[in-house]
Amino acid sequence: MQGWIKGLGWVTPAGSGMGRQTQGVLQPLQAGLLQIPERKDVFAQIDRRFGRLDDFSRVGLAAVTFSLRDAGAEIWEQKRSIGIVAASCYGCLQTDLDYHQTLIPQQGRLASPNLFAYTLPNCFLGEAALRFGLTGNSMIINRRDASRLTAIKVGLEELALSDQSGILAGIVDLAPPPELANDEDLPGGLFFLLERDQGGESYGALALREDELFFDEKRVDNLQQLVAACLNRIAV
Amino acid sequence: MKTVVITEVACLTALGSGPERLWQGLMNKESGIAALKRFSCDNYSSSLAACIEGLTAPVGGSRLDHLLEQLAAQLGEVPADARLLVASTKGEIDRLETACRADQPIPRSMLFEPMLEKIAQRFGLHDPGMNINAACASSTIALARGAALIAAGQAEVVLVYAADIVSEFVFSGFSALQALSFAACKPFDSTRQGLNLGEAGVALLLMSAERAGRLGHPVLATVAGWGAANDAHHVTAPARDGSGLILACRKALQKAGISADQIAAVNAHGTATIYNDAMELTAFNALFAGKLPPLHGVKGSLGHSLGAAGGVEAVVAVYALQHQQIPGTVGCEQPEEEGQEALSAQSQKICGDYLLSTNSGFGGINAALILQGVK
Repeated sequence: MQGWIKGLGWVTPAGSGMGRQTQGVLQPLQAGLLQIPERKDVFAQIDRRFGRLDDFSRVGLAAVTFSLRDAGAEIWEQKRSIGIVAASCYGCLQTDLDYHQTLIPQQGRLASPNLFAYTLPNCFLGEAALRFGLTGNSMIINRRDASRLTAIKVGLEELALSDQSGILAGIVDLAPPPELANDEDLPGGLFFLLERDQGGESYGALALREDELFFDEKRVDNLQQLVAACLNRIAV
Repeated sequence: MKTVVITEVACLTALGSGPERLWQGLMNKESGIAALKRFSCDNYSSSLAACIEGLTAPVGGSRLDHLLEQLAAQLGEVPADARLLVASTKGEIDRLETACRADQPIPRSMLFEPMLEKIAQRFGLHDPGMNINAACASSTIALARGAALIAAGQAEVVLVYAADIVSEFVFSGFSALQALSFAACKPFDSTRQGLNLGEAGVALLLMSAERAGRLGHPVLATVAGWGAANDAHHVTAPARDGSGLILACRKALQKAGISADQIAAVNAHGTATIYNDAMELTAFNALFAGKLPPLHGVKGSLGHSLGAAGGVEAVVAVYALQHQQIPGTVGCEQPEEEGQEALSAQSQKICGDYLLSTNSGFGGINAALILQGVK
């Protein structure tokens, strides 16, 4: 199973960025305080819908946008058979808690329909799909995985097992409530655009063999390694 | 490509325990939709839901714990090398509600990862499992992924486990969205006014045909085709032209290597919301060139069990193919004009090998599954 990495974008405590415009960031996956992106950080045009998104969706959508922008694939005319696979540990838990706060007063009478819509974590995938014309499969996955490579592996499987031309694969999480926080948390969003075809500029080839991931034939053990390898490739 | 078969199914719905009970209840036009007693509905737009009788949470636990035990008791032994694909939209949301209302810390055990561990452990699986969240298409996408992995030789056995419960959290949200029906819902009826929520748990064991043969498992049905596609239209509303659903169905037909006219029947998502059902009829009329095969939906009996819905409907599809009948669509007394020939509140005889089952959900996602009966 193989694909080509065409784009890389992120919103993390290191800031917002793209693989080809790192602005000195060598490793965006780091712990720390995550700034939730504003519309102007992501889109030049006024965009009312962005303002309605919950924080989880803003981070995810922004990271997807930067990944597509990095690949030169943000602008589109025809809908495209590109899917999205996003791994998350906490999902939209913060939105769940915010929504629940609207539910408690007056025994549900004030429950927020807008917040409720975003208590399904896959809603931001729909937001990305409609903005960028992505008609592939789209799902949020939850799996215990210290390497954080599950979404990349599932993305490569999706490419191999379906007719989709590309997959946006990555991770999205907000910082959890303090009682759930642990040292391994990496709040933020980071997505790769993986494509079936080699054509155009790419960071390199990514292959999945026997549940192990190889970037240009070198084994990759975790997401940080893969990101570093891509950024090194650009630096070279 | 390897042939993918379903060898065992287990389910728990508002109609009772087990697939046989589910089938009989549907064929008898029973409905599990009733007055909701789990919480006060005074401030909501409906007081109805299809709850599983006696589904309680152990102290400090979730109603899903009870559901897991009942499903595990129904299902025979699952090979330890089975991959585990779970489909749930809100998981143990009742535990979050309990903690929030008591102003207690959020328990880590209400996250998906501990829930997956619990399920894997209960079935004795090596695979820690993965939850797939694609809204109301979650379990259909899990089944599609399981089938794809087996077909490609990436797995020999996959356990698809799907469950969602009725909670005030979700009920209040659908009420706020004005999506709930005040009365019992009427899928595909011209006077439909919205959905009723339901809850369900379902487990389906998928295997390669070779493995099933080696283990001596009876084959209930073949998973012949699958497909998924996003509308790329709206976050909560379906594309009115049904483009995403049409695409998902065409992918499934292509995978199965059959044409639309070989489909003997359709199990539609049929939530009974105005826009969903209209979109589905538009899509199916396009897919079948206006000549719809017999079509039905089960949510007038079972309510909408969100992430579990597609899995339950796959179980119904297995029985429908075996019996060459589809249950009537409870609540559909005045079928929408676009589906009049195909829809009925009465059960319908079908004739053929293939059944198409589809689900669509928030986030614009659509998924389709084609099951083939066993001769």
